[in-house]
Amino acid sequence: MNKQIKPSIMKKSLTRRETISAYLFLAPALVFFVGFVIVPMVMCLVTSFFNYSMTEFAFVGFDNYKEMFQDDIFIKALANTVLIVVVAVPAVTAFSLWVSSAIYKMNGALCSFFRCIFYLPVVTGTVAVTVVWKWMFNKYTGLFNYVLDSDISWLGDSRTAIWCIILILFTTSVGQPIVLYVSALGNVDDSLIEAAQVDGATSRQVFWKIKWPQIMPTTLYILVITTINSFQCYALIQLLTSGGPNHSTETIMYYIYYQAFKLYRYGYGNAMGVILAIIIAVFSALQFKVAGKKND
Amino acid sequence: MKNWKKWLSMLLCAGMATGLAACGSGGGAGEDEPEVSDGATAITLWTYPIGSWGDAATVDSIIASFNEKYPDISVSVEYLDYTSGDDQVTAAIEAGTAPDLIMEGPERLVTTWGAAGKMVDLSDLWDDEALADISAVSEAVVNACKSSDGVYYEYPLCMNAHCMAINYEVFEEAGALQYIDEETRTWTTEDFGKALQALKDSGVETTGVVYCGGQGGDQGTRALARNLYSADFTNEDHTEWTMNSEAGIKGLQQLSDWVGEGLLSYDSGAQAADELQLFANGTIAMSFAWNASNESNYAEQVDFTAYAMTFPSDDGVPELDGGIYGFGIFDNGDEARIEAAKTFIEFVCDDETQGPESVVASGFFPVRSSFGNVYEGSDQEERMSVFNSMMPYLGDYYNVTPGWAEQRTAWWNMLQNVFNGNDLEESVNTYVETSNAATQAALGK
Repeated sequence: MNKQIKPSIMKKSLTRRETISAYLFLAPALVFFVGFVIVPMVMCLVTSFFNYSMTEFAFVGFDNYKEMFQDDIFIKALANTVLIVVVAVPAVTAFSLWVSSAIYKMNGALCSFFRCIFYLPVVTGTVAVTVVWKWMFNKYTGLFNYVLDSDISWLGDSRTAIWCIILILFTTSVGQPIVLYVSALGNVDDSLIEAAQVDGATSRQVFWKIKWPQIMPTTLYILVITTINSFQCYALIQLLTSGGPNHSTETIMYYIYYQAFKLYRYGYGNAMGVILAIIIAVFSALQFKVAGKKND
Repeated sequence: MKNWKKWLSMLLCAGMATGLAACGSGGGAGEDEPEVSDGATAITLWTYPIGSWGDAATVDSIIASFNEKYPDISVSVEYLDYTSGDDQVTAAIEAGTAPDLIMEGPERLVTTWGAAGKMVDLSDLWDDEALADISAVSEAVVNACKSSDGVYYEYPLCMNAHCMAINYEVFEEAGALQYIDEETRTWTTEDFGKALQALKDSGVETTGVVYCGGQGGDQGTRALARNLYSADFTNEDHTEWTMNSEAGIKGLQQLSDWVGEGLLSYDSGAQAADELQLFANGTIAMSFAWNASNESNYAEQVDFTAYAMTFPSDDGVPELDGGIYGFGIFDNGDEARIEAAKTFIEFVCDDETQGPESVVASGFFPVRSSFGNVYEGSDQEERMSVFNSMMPYLGDYYNVTPGWAEQRTAWWNMLQNVFNGNDLEESVNTYVETSNAATQAALGK
């Protein structure tokens, strides 16, 4: 006699199997996430309270944090990093939106062509891009001085160096936002635009009242990732200026690297990493708060 | 079509699985474990690009020679560069995957990793014969290879003297050759100033560049600044930095004055590699970052006579900065591997046949007196004799001073301050204070 299985038991069994399957699918990513993100984060936080170097590992409480805020170079690095973020993020977002608005209605091939052009610096290796820029900024043989007939040490003058870094960061950062914006603008509901136009809305009104609210999630994403990337500006500094001249291009990321890998002060470097993570979290939360509200 | 997609997805899955397997297969940064037969000992060597020691074909042939004599020791090699090499080593030390052997100079092997207790004591390699043979060439080499408490963390292979170079034809055209002693390749500070003026008067736009965009090749700017008025870079004990002495400040002031008068240039955005490229292009008339290895590296690009010179000094007797290169062993706790690494060092550095060949591969000069002129009879003999003639000018090897890494950063930042118009004496004092604080902190450990 066949056993009769109750529907509730069947449902539970199915749910359990689905749950197990879900966790199994998640497992590979979860292992990597825990191993390479969560664990290092916890280690970073814990060791930031230690005088941790190649030879020492002693608990020092908040000493690393106290030292950090009395360290003139860290303060300078923090100011430079904030400057990079404050300039680069709005510039990248506004420029990407402007370019995307101009190209998203073009025919397929032309639109793809422009997307490729702007995306090229993203797919080209950072080192290759930086070497080209370094050549262009060269005081003696560079393109800029040749065109301007000047004798400026673009990367060697504290008045120009940080702006050169921001310029390179800008060119390497606009690719992805443009691609995202082109896609987002293409997905804006045409019927809404047509209805607004029938009601007599101007192009500006159509953009701000119809398109802008619909691409707001994309804008929020772009703001957050560009902010994080700008805060983590390191490779350009390492390859171009080593934080000079006179620490005018020192960023927190580069200073962390310098403390940890040149002076072997892992604990102090980790403390700076914790502060950087907190600053990024605060900036991102603010962006979510401001842009997210409009998105509701 | 469906079948095709199925195969493609299987292929992708297999690729991902292989990738995961590769991630989990252990090993350190780029570690390439050799295949070893039972009972054999496998060791790893990490080497910086010291001449052809950065070239796989050369190193492979040295290892092949080693294996002919010692078939039971297999050596795998990882090639480092000076941009990221230190970071790789630091990461490996912290991860417990440091190599058995490493090839570089005392500032890393002795002052940094040795002082941190990461290296093996190599005193047993320094027997009486080796000590006498190396001392006969330079006592400074012996001292540089041991820590302040007398433990040898490096066994040296070769050495060189860093110098500068001039564009001979440009100097000739400017009538500036009269200011150099072509026989000894020396010149005085006064004559150097006159040569700069002659170059400028003849229309040379940029005579030379005092580069200070980073620490790359900073031995050139250090040697230039301290030689002008024979300043000491550190005290004799290597416990204090002393460029704020009267002679040191005078030398830096002289450089600043020449820059101010347009006789020299400076670039806070350039390092030695950039300056060397400008010299090789013929854009500038002299390089402060020259040595035998750089001459060889830039030979194909230079279409003029790159004439090696010592640095100008007030008394015409320069004190050149040297480079000492050799081997150290990381203490990985495996006696068999440590012994195998020592065997490798002895073969490469001491073997009558291999030793001189190892030195030639470096492009520098032997630290052992018994090796004699390793370039004799070779096509490099004439070229290397120029650099060999500068070896007697080798000065104090102050690179072993604790706090070396901090000092290097403080040095180029100080130069930037000086050339950007900040108060010179104050900038030099800040540099010395920063460096001394780092040294005291290191000594305090």
